[in-house]
Amino acid sequence: MNPKMDENDKLEILKDILFADEHEFEQRISERVETLERTINERKQLSEKVDPIVEQQINDFKESIPTTLGPVITATLKEEIKNSRDEVVDALYPILGKMIKKYVAQEMKLLSEKIDGQLSFFSRWKRKFRSLTSGKKEEDLMMGDLAAAKIEQVLLIEKDSGILKASYVKSQAMDEEMISGMLTAIKSFVEDAFNQRDQNLEHIEYELYNIHLQSFATHYIAVVISGNYVTRSKDLVQDLIFDFYNSFMAMNLDLVFDTKNSEKSIVPVSKKRLEKELRKYFSDAKI
Amino acid sequence: MLKSKKIVVLGHFGVGKTSLIRRFVTDTFSDNYKVTIGVHITKKVVEISAKETISLILWDLEGTDDIETIRKAYLLGTHGVVFVFDITRPSTFQHLKSDLKIVSEKIPNTPLMVVGNKTDLVDAKELQITLDENEITVDFLTSAKTGFAVDDLFTKLANQLAKDA
Repeated sequence: MNPKMDENDKLEILKDILFADEHEFEQRISERVETLERTINERKQLSEKVDPIVEQQINDFKESIPTTLGPVITATLKEEIKNSRDEVVDALYPILGKMIKKYVAQEMKLLSEKIDGQLSFFSRWKRKFRSLTSGKKEEDLMMGDLAAAKIEQVLLIEKDSGILKASYVKSQAMDEEMISGMLTAIKSFVEDAFNQRDQNLEHIEYELYNIHLQSFATHYIAVVISGNYVTRSKDLVQDLIFDFYNSFMAMNLDLVFDTKNSEKSIVPVSKKRLEKELRKYFSDAKI
Repeated sequence: MLKSKKIVVLGHFGVGKTSLIRRFVTDTFSDNYKVTIGVHITKKVVEISAKETISLILWDLEGTDDIETIRKAYLLGTHGVVFVFDITRPSTFQHLKSDLKIVSEKIPNTPLMVVGNKTDLVDAKELQITLDENEITVDFLTSAKTGFAVDDLFTKLANQLAKDA
């Protein structure tokens, strides 16, 4: 041993001998810490390690949303809509407003076309004459003409079954056979519910339409009317229906005879013939 | 030539009357049960032959546990009846004979089809045992869900009505 070595040097040598393994371990740890520091500090390297994990987590979250968060979101939305009706209206107004605007514009166009028709030379003179004879203002007569009631559809329906026998249709809107069934169901329900089989449902209002119902022995007639359906129009429709009944329906469908027809034999009436008769009575009728 | 015939579809609550009609008319099925209130009317034109078609106006009446309470007004002028029961629910067929007797009294001399619906929910053996045990005679066993025998049922009725007309 070197005689010049002091106690401290000896202690250091002893430490080196005793802690050689620990030194090596410390060295390895410090190298790993250095690598980790590099990984964390360098974005690209970190991204390579973390991205797959985050992606997996996001996918799991997406899949679990409908079951875990769905009901909560729905309930919250419902509650929010309930509590903030005004805000909802404000949000929907631009969309609904456009639709309403479009509808109003269309109706204005139709009205304008009708007014043009009313202002034609012939119509003006006709109205002047009517004004003189009736004592009513020309403007009132014109407004009356614009909103006049019109027959849109006439349905001849078998009373009990609701089967459509024939129809006159100005503008086809819905399946007439289904309308006939539905009208009969409504009619039957009302008459049954009020326990009044001897009384009849006579009138149904449906949005812009009035449906006038007139029952006879085996059939009933439904007249669908648009426009201003006033008492005068109602009387005229009633007259039309009874004209049709007396001159055609009573004898051909309801087997009701007066004496002059009593010897006539009954033959089944074809749908074509029924439709022709309906057209004859209702197509040009002014109400 | 097109003839129109009124068919009423009757039965207890939830036996599948509306589903049968929907399957026949639109070939669709929904698991969501919505109770029919009053009556629902639909139509389907059935071809009998190359020259003859028949328009079936289908009156889907609301279900009732007491067939006696069906509104008579809805049954007037009926040309054909379909009585539906649910083969999985005994309460809908345990009084079948008396139910059918009531229907025949309310709508006499009218073709009537007795239909056991929801065959998709039981196996054939089990079904036969149920029918035998309850002495039930059916015209058709159907499944509105799978569409099994639904067209056959209405087509047979349409043919019968066309013949009778």
